Amino acid sequence: MKNHFYKVVLLFIVLLSSSCNKWLELEPQDGITRQEFWKTKEDVQAAAIGIYGSLLNEPLVYNLFTWGELRADMISATLNTTTDESNIMTANILSSNSLTSWRALYQTINYCNTLIEFAPQVLKTDPTFKQADLDAYLAEAYAIRGLMYFYLLRTFRDVPLKLSATSSDATLELLPKSSETQVYNQIIKDLDFAALHAKTTYQNQDMDKGRVTKYTVYAIQADAYLWMNDYEKCVAACDKIIGSNRFGLIPTFSQSSWFNTLFYNGNSNESIFEFQFDSQKLNPFHSMFVQSNRRFLASSVVMDEVYTVNSTDETKYDYRGNRAALRASDGMIWKFSGAQSGSDDIDPRPAADSYAHWIVYRYADILLLKAEALAWLNRGQEAIGLVNVIRERGKALESSARNPDVTSAIDVSEYVLEERARELAFEGKRWFDVLRNAKRNNYENLNLLLQMVIKNAPPQSQQIIVNKFKDPNSHYLPINDYELTTDKNLVQNPFYQK
Amino acid sequence: MTSNQTISMGFMKNIFSTVLYCAISFCCLLFAGNLYAQSTKITIRGRVIDSKDKQPIIGGAVAELDKDGRTIAGATTDIDGNFAIKVSSLNSQLSFSYLGYRTIKQPINGRTVINISLVPAASELQEVVVQARRAVDNGTGLTIDARNSTVASATISAKDLEELSAQSIDQALQGRLSGVDFGTTSGDPGAGMSIRIRGTASINGSADPLIVLDGMPYETEIPSDFNFGTADEQGYAQLLNIAPADIKDITVLKDAAATAVWGSRAANGVLLINTKRGTIGRPAITYTFRGSLAKQPNAIPMLNGDQFSMLVPEMVMNRDGLPLNIQSNKEFSYDPLDPYWYNNYSTNTDWIDEITQLGYMQDHNISMTGGGEKARYYASIGYLNQVGTTKGTDLGRITSKINLDYNVSSRIRFRTDITYTHVNNTLNYTNQIRNVAYNKMPNMAPYEYDINGNETSNYFSPSQNIQGRYPGTYNPLAMASEGFAFSNGERITPRFQLNYDISPVFKTSYDVLFDINNTKVNTFLPQVATGRPVTETTVNVASDADADFFKITNKLNFIYSPKLGENQTFQGLFQLMTDESKNVYHFAAASNTASSELQDPSNPSRTITGFLSSNRVVSRSLGVLANAQYGFGDRYFINGSIRMDGNSKFGPNNRYGFFPGISVRWRLSGEKFMRKMDFIDDLSLRASYGQSGKAPRNDYTFYNLYNNWDHTYLGQSGVYPANMELSNLKWETVIGKNLGFNLALFKNRLKVDAEVYHNRTRDMFYEGLQISSFTGYSSVSVNVGTMDNQGWEIALNTIPLKTKKWLVNFDFNVARNINIVRSVSEFYPRENGTRINQNGVYKTYLQIGNPFGSFYGFKFKGVYKDEQATIAKDVNGSDIVDPTGQKVFMRFNYPLTDYVFKPGDAIYEDINHDGNINYMDMVYLGNSIPKVVGGFGPSITYKGNLKLNVFFSYRLNYDLINGTKMNTTNMYGYSNQSTTVLQRWRNPGDETDVPRALLGMGYNWLGSDRYVEDASFVRLKSATVRYNLSKSFLNKIKFRSASVYLTAENLYTWTKYTGQEPDVTIRGNNNPFAYAQDNSLTPPSKNLLLGISAGF
Repeated sequence: MKNHFYKVVLLFIVLLSSSCNKWLELEPQDGITRQEFWKTKEDVQAAAIGIYGSLLNEPLVYNLFTWGELRADMISATLNTTTDESNIMTANILSSNSLTSWRALYQTINYCNTLIEFAPQVLKTDPTFKQADLDAYLAEAYAIRGLMYFYLLRTFRDVPLKLSATSSDATLELLPKSSETQVYNQIIKDLDFAALHAKTTYQNQDMDKGRVTKYTVYAIQADAYLWMNDYEKCVAACDKIIGSNRFGLIPTFSQSSWFNTLFYNGNSNESIFEFQFDSQKLNPFHSMFVQSNRRFLASSVVMDEVYTVNSTDETKYDYRGNRAALRASDGMIWKFSGAQSGSDDIDPRPAADSYAHWIVYRYADILLLKAEALAWLNRGQEAIGLVNVIRERGKALESSARNPDVTSAIDVSEYVLEERARELAFEGKRWFDVLRNAKRNNYENLNLLLQMVIKNAPPQSQQIIVNKFKDPNSHYLPINDYELTTDKNLVQNPFYQK
Repeated sequence: MTSNQTISMGFMKNIFSTVLYCAISFCCLLFAGNLYAQSTKITIRGRVIDSKDKQPIIGGAVAELDKDGRTIAGATTDIDGNFAIKVSSLNSQLSFSYLGYRTIKQPINGRTVINISLVPAASELQEVVVQARRAVDNGTGLTIDARNSTVASATISAKDLEELSAQSIDQALQGRLSGVDFGTTSGDPGAGMSIRIRGTASINGSADPLIVLDGMPYETEIPSDFNFGTADEQGYAQLLNIAPADIKDITVLKDAAATAVWGSRAANGVLLINTKRGTIGRPAITYTFRGSLAKQPNAIPMLNGDQFSMLVPEMVMNRDGLPLNIQSNKEFSYDPLDPYWYNNYSTNTDWIDEITQLGYMQDHNISMTGGGEKARYYASIGYLNQVGTTKGTDLGRITSKINLDYNVSSRIRFRTDITYTHVNNTLNYTNQIRNVAYNKMPNMAPYEYDINGNETSNYFSPSQNIQGRYPGTYNPLAMASEGFAFSNGERITPRFQLNYDISPVFKTSYDVLFDINNTKVNTFLPQVATGRPVTETTVNVASDADADFFKITNKLNFIYSPKLGENQTFQGLFQLMTDESKNVYHFAAASNTASSELQDPSNPSRTITGFLSSNRVVSRSLGVLANAQYGFGDRYFINGSIRMDGNSKFGPNNRYGFFPGISVRWRLSGEKFMRKMDFIDDLSLRASYGQSGKAPRNDYTFYNLYNNWDHTYLGQSGVYPANMELSNLKWETVIGKNLGFNLALFKNRLKVDAEVYHNRTRDMFYEGLQISSFTGYSSVSVNVGTMDNQGWEIALNTIPLKTKKWLVNFDFNVARNINIVRSVSEFYPRENGTRINQNGVYKTYLQIGNPFGSFYGFKFKGVYKDEQATIAKDVNGSDIVDPTGQKVFMRFNYPLTDYVFKPGDAIYEDINHDGNINYMDMVYLGNSIPKVVGGFGPSITYKGNLKLNVFFSYRLNYDLINGTKMNTTNMYGYSNQSTTVLQRWRNPGDETDVPRALLGMGYNWLGSDRYVEDASFVRLKSATVRYNLSKSFLNKIKFRSASVYLTAENLYTWTKYTGQEPDVTIRGNNNPFAYAQDNSLTPPSKNLLLGISAGF
């Protein structure tokens, strides 16, 4: 009897131990594992679209807007502005401020890195997927990565350069900050690859505006070169776009048709790259600008000083002001909230229709970038010409015209800057534009920035703020506390070190 | 065949293959031994009579039993007590039995006529009771005499708990067992509790102990990836739904050697629950009733409408010197010419009163138990109905249980237990209603007034007002009455056990347990509860969550207990256990259904706002255990075990873990030199060491998964990597050491159990270790470090008085536990995220080697009465001046914040006298870990029939943050405040300790000692008077037993604490940065319970 028993136990143990490892091996039943993914060209396509999809996620566009506008002079706060937001606006910036988090951008960078790292292996498994197809997808990933680092460069200056995908806990690493030059060089490197391999068109207008084309890359290049004062290259990049004859300014036959084409519908002939919000994925602006508890208004100076008003003839007005950039009656930021329809109807978009695209680059922007570069190449006359093209299209008022000395780069450049404020109001550009002009030639024109920052400041703290901004380090946001605790190699911007 | 079907087919096959493995091998065992001979039938005759009155026994059972005690043939006695039975062998036994009589077994020994007289059974039962010795059951199958147990455990019998008003056993256990801490999560019906045995061994993740019900693990956790749409997990039908009346006893296994045999999941301790089983005897029916009333005690006094509308404009005025705009805030215009606003905003509404009702509970339970030699049963059915103290909350529960034991022969026994629970639980749509009601502006009307000033029956739900809008605030009455979260749960747990004794010393058993637990949660948020326009997606939101859990557990035991002679005992166990659970979850939600009456997401609605999710998770685990106990004489005992665990939640590199345990007991009182001390019944020392492992909560983490975005880009779907693969994650191991001491004196009238323990958690899991966001992720699950949990416990049981009339027991327990982090990943934060300029929070630090729980902040010194008072003073008390000779005023956090204190602001002590209140002025304010916790209470019995039971619980020497005081006196937002703020600073020169009202500005309620209080308390937790009806009276009314009792709970609390509820533990308890804060606005409810129990 005992013999029988031991045999059975033995058999049982053998059976069990051989099968139990297999029995404990379970695979998830929802979702795809990396091992199953990256097999076909469709997988690469889905991952590329995934990168764009992440651009719509909050708070990325919110970050782009707030970093580009809050420290500048065209926005004012309401009673509902959050503490963090109003602290940025009043230059009371601490590293605990949630707006100093760069998380959303690096998330997109990780998706780019993932595609860059894994897409090449599809060449082995999908014979229909050719090197050129791969390069075109890589170009999109490199361009978006370059764009994200360019925003980081302008906002934080020195940031860690993460260039590999985070796919396993075994590959986690702690990076130090890279210097401004290193980051800039990386951006240029990414963009060079993208410029070489990106498609010129996807044979579809929406795709051409919503995905990276060669012209998207040129636009980022132009902006980046100008940031580092490489004027020749900036002009060259702009000329590639201008010379392609694929883009033009939307004419202003009527203010409403111009507004609808360019901003309400989006993806117009003027546009170069837009984030494609739609009814499935709304932009973050409704609660920021439209709702009764909105957090931001156009500053009162925008109408009075930027666009100016013709008090004698009300039919004459800058088309880009009232009912385009803002609604003058209550200061609502209109560019992303305005509803389609005739000019009489001044209702904003309802919440469910809040999907105006976020325009990253458009033709008018390129013309003005070029104008600024020309000014510093001593081609002031050409620069003024470009500015006038923009002014004419926008029906700018005589009262906002200047007559700068074409031989003075600073004068022309300041005029371009003023025109950029009118043309690109609330498009997340203002702070970067002013900072770029202020820091040029070793902060030659720092005054530009100092004059701007006191506009929003309460009188009693103006002096404190001016003193703060005299330190160039203060022009860049601090590294968020979170990042400092999680990576001991990061060193805080000296201005914010306690 | 779709892929889904393939998956589920594959799944079924797997279940069957495991069941089959176990079942087939078990059958083999059965057949390995047993073949019995057949021979010709012989008839045996005889008569059965009662031994006392010599009357024939009619209908008595006569059975032939083979050598294993298996019934082969049977017959019954006739009207004269005669029987005739054909037997197979003259070597068999005959058994004679009849209900109420003692069964007699006699070998036939070749006789053909056998006469028998049966003895009534009553005497036998008593004999059994006298001899019975309590055995400690570690749940695995070994039965070890409690006296010889080598491990730290504590047992409580259900008798001690039956008089409490708790609906589930966890509530009843609170404070009764040393070293076990229970925390209430919410006062709503059906809300669960958190159970902590010896503190928490984990820095994050579940810290709930493993529940073992009748020897099988019992699931009490919801898988992490399930989301029930309701506000919190407790809203989900509670998992520990065993009717208190069915419980026989509860044992807590505390030291690691005891829990090591349970391997993974036992790292947080083990709670063994045994339910009642049938006993031999006539059917005994017991009915118990418990009914209770619960009244929400009075809250702290809040401002009425008039006082509130004085406060708000003052608060706004202090902000920037501009008056409140009553054109845009008509709530405060009080203009009789505008009757709509005037009437709707000029009331004195007591919102708490509006949503509160009298709560009650009734619990009925009927059980029947009995059985004979062959079969025994315990069956019960219970019904519980409870109505909560907040409108719109109730709980209905039906429980039923049947436990059957059947002895096929003396070697083969079956056991079948089936439990069914049905739960209907209605809760409010959100559990924040009470908070919102406290904060709600009291000048607002609950029901709308029309334009003519007549009150209507419509709820007054403005889409927004000065306080904000949904979800921040709303009409609490409308929310409580119209919104709901309804959960409906069914749980069936059939369990089968087959025991087979291969030989008297070698036994085996096989168990299979199925656990089917299905829950559906429906929620609905009607428009009227939010006040928002019907076009918004936040209104008429219907959701439906459905979760089906299915679990199968197999357990195969081999027990070897040879006879080693007089002086030695040995028991060995080999156990194999497999566990597979499959969870399917589905969730659908839709907003903007056409009407508030269409409350299901299947109704057509704006699908764009609806969403759908579902998932399916399978996890498996495997345990192999070898465990043995050896005893030498009455003095030396040693117990050793080794367990191997395998778990599908780990990647291939770390899938298996080995966890050993060893424990010893030395009974000094058994040694020769102690023998003479008769008064010592037991004096033992115990020591143990053990390890147990813990698996992570989430499945499939070792895969890098790709998901779809929930939106398209240009009409195309995008895929993104959703996580990183966790290839480094390994078992979290708890290494426990325990020293124990047992002393029993004077015939067990004085018993002392003391334990000192040290539990070290190695490779501690941390689910959300923050990582730099440049990785693209925010957190990662890792093994983060080492933490110690150490402390001691003493339990004292005494019987100071024992006479014929009086029996007095006195029990006392005390315990202390602290957590210390010994090492932790350098990426683990060292301080909490509190910023100096944040009001209402305290600073805490993680200090390696120091216990948790200390918090830091400012010293509050009152209120600046005028501008003169805000001038900064140096060490000598003279004014500080700047280089130009100007007086300097006190500043806050210069230069980063640089706020200049104004008259009416809170004064914080300038510790370093630099005229600047900043982080250098933060000091140690207190520690929220109690020095000791425990309970005590006497139990007095008079003549065995009248019994008084009193129980106190206490928690001594710890600091608590009075969050209620903070939130109701800060005058910082538009929330209603307590009447304390009537003493606020208003004009220069006012001397008070309540700062000025200042809307959304200033630093008047920074974390300071103003809110820190010593919260030591002793609470009269419960007092019960019970009367058992006398035997003679019971005989008259033909009852077996009957008793009535009355229990009052939370009668009184002795404390210096000025808040509402001092009994607050650190929520979550496992966050090194947590501190205890009491946010209750009412004291705990006083309950009165009436109970009746009757047996037939």
